Amino acid sequence: MTIATSEYISSSENETKLIASDISQKLKPGDVIALVGQLGTGKTFLVKSLCEKWEISDVTSPTFSIVNQYSGKINVNHFDFYRIKNPEELYNIGFEEYLMSGNTITFIEWADMFPEILPKDIIKIIITYSENNKRKITIE
Amino acid sequence: MNIVGIESSCDETSVAVITENKIKSNLISSQEFHTNFGGVVPELSSRAHLQTILPLFKKALNKAEIGLKDINLICATAGPGLIGALLVGLNFAKGLSLSLKVPFVPVNHIEGHLFSGFLMPEKPEFPFLSLLVSGGHTLLLLVKSDTEIIKIGSTIDDAAGEAFDKVSKMLGLGYPGGQKIQEYAERNAEEIVKFPVAKLKSELDFSFSGLKTSVLRFIQENYNGEIPEKDKCLIADSFQKAAVKALTSNFIKALNNYKVKSISIAGGVAANKHLQSEMKMIADKSKIKLVVPELSFCGDNAAMIAYRGFRLFENRIIYPLDYNAFPKLKNNFQLP
Repeated sequence: MTIATSEYISSSENETKLIASDISQKLKPGDVIALVGQLGTGKTFLVKSLCEKWEISDVTSPTFSIVNQYSGKINVNHFDFYRIKNPEELYNIGFEEYLMSGNTITFIEWADMFPEILPKDIIKIIITYSENNKRKITIE
Repeated sequence: MNIVGIESSCDETSVAVITENKIKSNLISSQEFHTNFGGVVPELSSRAHLQTILPLFKKALNKAEIGLKDINLICATAGPGLIGALLVGLNFAKGLSLSLKVPFVPVNHIEGHLFSGFLMPEKPEFPFLSLLVSGGHTLLLLVKSDTEIIKIGSTIDDAAGEAFDKVSKMLGLGYPGGQKIQEYAERNAEEIVKFPVAKLKSELDFSFSGLKTSVLRFIQENYNGEIPEKDKCLIADSFQKAAVKALTSNFIKALNNYKVKSISIAGGVAANKHLQSEMKMIADKSKIKLVVPELSFCGDNAAMIAYRGFRLFENRIIYPLDYNAFPKLKNNFQLP
């Protein structure tokens, strides 16, 4: 595992957990994080690992539910745009209200599907799959 | 007694009327209003629920041949689900209850699915063990009575139905994918590829994320672009067998740990024929009754909400009108 300020390489779930520990310290309530990465790169697993740092243990995929909400040391909104067909649907389920809730960090899987709906100061975490089951995690 | 059920937790709006244990109507918006939605997956929004709920309600009463004054009990899904969607059905039900002066019962959507077997002629017997599998949930539940439900296993990542949908998309078969995967799997004549089934620390929990990823890697490593039809069948079959095995192997473990009188499956994935036949084998081997809800009770529907609400009402579990919607599944299953 190599640690740089904004780029990490993980070759196992345990390494991803260590990386999550590092990233979690950089995040604060109010932050909105876009998770960008193909199917099977471990977007949900990264959110799960980050949430463990905030004493949240019930993280599962929000693909079907669109959004899961958790609470531990802080509150977390866990969105997934995978099943969304147009941004209108997001406005209709109250996407903006979710972002405004207090003491909350928001993660959005497949956020790049609707860049127009995202806040300007969004933090991007890009996960890419590389050879031998490794993952490159980049924060922008 | 005329019981009205209202469901609006996710994509579908549904209204049902049950009269003296008979389902008089069980209408689902996407099937009733084809012209509005083009017969496809409905738009996901509170506004869509708002637009459909009143015409759907009127249609359901008409089909059941009852009027407003004939309603004796109103039940509505209070959670889990999308908060905006839930509020539409729940508030509609509260308004009806207030204006008609009839009792209102909030229902846990998961409990609705869990008790959907009671809508069948052959009903589950307590205590029963149930596998609840849908796009959003994968749960192993021990049901001791109407009011005692214990969660003994659940998914740690993706739901089983979600894995079916995502594999279907990888194969270019569209969304939702359960039916397509089944059709393609049935046409496979080749020896299946062995996809791994995750082993977890907690032996009754499930994980489908790894299976989804191994199917994806298999496709990436073996095909460059279009996958031949024959191979789509092979992958669908291999995936379906692995997914069903993950479900049934945990079910067998649970069956060894708990003494029950019957078993059941529920939720959208319960419509899968391979899962049904494997569960039938388990039931036959253990000489235990298996209850599988018919297709129209597997997906989200209001008949199951009306039935579950009625059981709660009979057990005197009634809540005041300020009862609020809840987005998340509660651990102990009791409504707060």
